[in-house]
Amino acid sequence: MNRISDFQLTELLMKMYDNSAEAIFFFDSSGKVISMNSAARLILDAEVLNRMTAGDTKAICLSCKGYTNEQELRTCTSCYMQNPQDDLSSFQVYLETKGKGVIPYTASYQTIDVEKGIRVFMLRDLTKQYKTQESLNQKTMMKNVIKAQEDERKRISRELHDGVAQEMLSALVDLRVLKYMSIDGDVLKKVQQTEGSLMRLLDDIRHLSVELRPATLDDLGLEAAFRTHFKWIEKNYGLIVHFTAELQAKRYRGEVETVVYRICQEAVFNALKYACTDDITVRLFEEDGSLKLHVIDDGEGFEMNTTNPKGTGLGFYGMKERAELVEGKLSVLSELEKGTVVFLEIPLEKEGEPDENHNRR
Amino acid sequence: MNSQGNFDYQKEIEQIKDRFDFDFVAIALVQSAERRFELRWVFVTGNQSNRYRKIVLQTGKGVAGRVFKTGKPMLVEDAETILGKNDLFNYPIIVTERLKSFGAIPLYKYNRVKGVLLVGYRTENTLTLEGFTEFQQVIGSEFGPFYNKEMIEN
Repeated sequence: MNRISDFQLTELLMKMYDNSAEAIFFFDSSGKVISMNSAARLILDAEVLNRMTAGDTKAICLSCKGYTNEQELRTCTSCYMQNPQDDLSSFQVYLETKGKGVIPYTASYQTIDVEKGIRVFMLRDLTKQYKTQESLNQKTMMKNVIKAQEDERKRISRELHDGVAQEMLSALVDLRVLKYMSIDGDVLKKVQQTEGSLMRLLDDIRHLSVELRPATLDDLGLEAAFRTHFKWIEKNYGLIVHFTAELQAKRYRGEVETVVYRICQEAVFNALKYACTDDITVRLFEEDGSLKLHVIDDGEGFEMNTTNPKGTGLGFYGMKERAELVEGKLSVLSELEKGTVVFLEIPLEKEGEPDENHNRR
Repeated sequence: MNSQGNFDYQKEIEQIKDRFDFDFVAIALVQSAERRFELRWVFVTGNQSNRYRKIVLQTGKGVAGRVFKTGKPMLVEDAETILGKNDLFNYPIIVTERLKSFGAIPLYKYNRVKGVLLVGYRTENTLTLEGFTEFQQVIGSEFGPFYNKEMIEN
């Protein structure tokens, strides 16, 4: 690298001082502010500025709300201003700023001229970094919450299916045996009625189990789970779902399968609730290395930018959130009197090696 | 079809419809053992679509399911305010037939609910408590092979 002249270096340093987003203060040995840059002036309150220029050594304390040490988040014990001999190359400090309230900063406080005791105090705004951190946390949290919910649903669903329903079935078999014993007409009638009730109850339990989380999704994959679900929709609501699946792989990552299933479920329910139509079309296929889902209805449709949605208006938000968990994209197109289309696209991993475990316990 | 004797359900519900000027009358019946004792809408009049044919009712869900489970009549004078707009989709027959005001009574046989009789209007608040009571009285304690338990108890 070419060496630059002292003159150029001075110019660069001056530019940095003037244009940097970091606030820079120079203090002399007595704690008076010798100079500060425009970024520093911008964050400080007018009164603090006045007192600083007047040479008040305590002026900084009006803005400073404490720094973080091992014991406390915000403290004034062994203030960094008083102990310049400590290693203060990087610490966190909270400042009351003009118009923005108390904001966390990364600070450094270093002696740059030992003889004269001149020190530089530099501040870097942390809000942006914190926001990134926060949204990352939020996403992780969201993922965990959804996972916890799915796991719990799976547990209860299995319990119902393997425990309660099995017991019910053996009771039903016992009852059927009773029918072939020599019992009189009245008793037989009663037994038949009870058999009917028990069979309906058994169906209800199975429905409940599937509604919570279909075992077919974990055991047989998306296509089978969808076929069962749509049959159930038809039986319960009289709505016909035309379903076509063109999938190369039979199985995908457990997470992807759950997301696709839940989003499709929600989209179909939305169509059922609001579209006022008798049939809808669902397509599931692979294209350009992505798994795609289209849910199409030719119902009433809605205005895309309405402020007055038919439902809570939060459904699509939730679906989007779920899609983002697996880097998927969700979009919705709707036109009044024409219908609504929901598109979901989830990129598939290049290796295409499906996770052997899926969601099995 | 008619395994319940000579009782002509279709004619009966059409008569009920004419007498009270209902927009829609339907009967749900428990199916035979071969059909897994499912509860389905069997006789319908005044219907706008044939979607009812596809629906298998679940106990405790929807209008018929609720009446079936509780064994009590059910009156909803204004569907949207009482059932709630967002919950309405759980009552598919009401939604597809666009009923706004309706009532349903259980039909008993051997001390069991074996069917549900649903009557309704497509305008709000048309079926009032008086109207519903009158309807129940006209149906009386017997409806073909069924009886109305409430009536006997009173």
